[in-house]
Amino acid sequence: MFFLSVPIIKIFIGVGSEKLLETIKDGEAIDSIILTMKVSAWAMVFVLFTGLPLAYVIARYDFYGKSVVESLIDIPVMIPHTAAGIALLTTFGDTNIGEFFKFFGIEFIGTEYGIMIAMMFLSAPFLINSAKDGFRKVDVKLEKTARTLGASPINVFVRITIPNAKKDIINGALMMWSRGLGEFGAIVILVYHPMTTPVLIFDRFNSYGLSYSAPLAAVIIGFSMLVFLIVRFITNRL
Amino acid sequence: MDYLKIQNLSSNTGNFLLNNINLDIQKNEYFVLLGQSGSGKTMLLETIAGLNPCSGNIIYKGNDISLIPTEKREIGFVYQDFALFPNLNVEENIRFSQKYKNIEDADELFKDIVDFLKLENLLERSTQDLSGGEKQRIAIARALFSRPKILLLDEPLSAIDPTFRNAIMKSLKDIHRRYDVITIHVTHNFREASYLADKIAIIMDGEIKQVGDAKDVLNQPANIEVAKFLGFKNIFPAKMLGYESSSKVYSVDPNIIRVAKNGELKTDYVFEGVVDECMGIVDHYKLFVKVKQHQFFIKILKRDYEGCYADRTKIIQIGFDKKDISFI
Repeated sequence: MFFLSVPIIKIFIGVGSEKLLETIKDGEAIDSIILTMKVSAWAMVFVLFTGLPLAYVIARYDFYGKSVVESLIDIPVMIPHTAAGIALLTTFGDTNIGEFFKFFGIEFIGTEYGIMIAMMFLSAPFLINSAKDGFRKVDVKLEKTARTLGASPINVFVRITIPNAKKDIINGALMMWSRGLGEFGAIVILVYHPMTTPVLIFDRFNSYGLSYSAPLAAVIIGFSMLVFLIVRFITNRL
Repeated sequence: MDYLKIQNLSSNTGNFLLNNINLDIQKNEYFVLLGQSGSGKTMLLETIAGLNPCSGNIIYKGNDISLIPTEKREIGFVYQDFALFPNLNVEENIRFSQKYKNIEDADELFKDIVDFLKLENLLERSTQDLSGGEKQRIAIARALFSRPKILLLDEPLSAIDPTFRNAIMKSLKDIHRRYDVITIHVTHNFREASYLADKIAIIMDGEIKQVGDAKDVLNQPANIEVAKFLGFKNIFPAKMLGYESSSKVYSVDPNIIRVAKNGELKTDYVFEGVVDECMGIVDHYKLFVKVKQHQFFIKILKRDYEGCYADRTKIIQIGFDKKDISFI
């Protein structure tokens, strides 16, 4: 407990309220926090649409290569984030895949799209795995009964499966979002500018030292804690 | 014309095979599918409902419905644990099908079902804190509200307090008549089956072993396996009664076998045997008597004879009449 809590308390005491308020009023800091929150939310929404069906298929069906798919989902959690950034750069940078997306007006280097794929790549497993656990807890007989009552498979998924797994889905989604807020290693390789909050902290620390980066670090830690408390509050009330 | 005809229905889910099921069910027939746990009863119901891939045909009123998707089959399904939707309250559960089906006079039907099943006071409640009986009535109401042609009941009485079972069994018969549905009721309990069924099918290891009128199936099992499952006792070769056929067996009810110590029995068949065991139960004694290599099980009511009829290893006579024998 000491090890976990003291650095957090220390940074707030060390920074002081005056500097915290100053940072909250700092346009560059606020812009970076809004950017980080917004892109992380988009990444979460994108994975909600694409990852939930995948999580459902894994939870409900046995198929050849299922364990490989599950391992692939977990890989981003295990690899160093800077290595993930390099992997994303060599895939979506100046490559055929990158060119393909460029054709549709989507570029990943130095854009919000780049921030989004970096966040998605590294934090999607939190949402997918949590949703998978939630779907497994939904009794398959509920879905079968709903089918006999006239609901199509998609209607069953939307009206029965998702609502009964919502606690895990919301928990996973918020965990993914808050995890996205803290992503640094992969983003800094793909997108230095525009700066997300973790990149801005790193930049200020490198250029101006601890006293200039610590208030921003305290603000983002405070914000992360707020998100964490909201997660707990919502999941406890569901 | 058969209302529901199941022809050569097979389904393989990888770890269980439902093999070549053939059933004919007439209008207004209360059909009971009787089998032990793991015999394939639920799987057969799910296959009829279109929830499992299958081969063969399911013909309802002359139309093959085996390729119609589940949601369009007009089948009501009530699972053993009722499968009420936890995210919806009682009324929302019952009305679930209204969003997907065009239900004629829906409000009138809803009121009728709610009145008949006495659910008025439960409508606003969550499904979480209800008794087994309440959950069962809601699950049946939900299935009936979807106006099914066929009602599939999977062990609907197993989660019900035994004291309410008789009343509920009567309700099930009433539902079947009132809402004009073909009912297929699955159970492992042959007493339940004997009360409810017009027709019974015995299912074992994914195959129908016997099907027919309830009385016939319950009194004349087609083979030893079915007889044992139906609770027949004292199943022995007919040869010991003097019959020539080596394959024929007979069964005799433990309640009608008479016993005597001094050769005073005047029954058609009398055997001498050694008492193996005597066990006192609430209102009767269980007497196990060995006749050659066969052990007879005999029930002696306490009101007829107090105390074990004879001690272990004592020789006694047992007897029964020809009319009390069932040949299998």
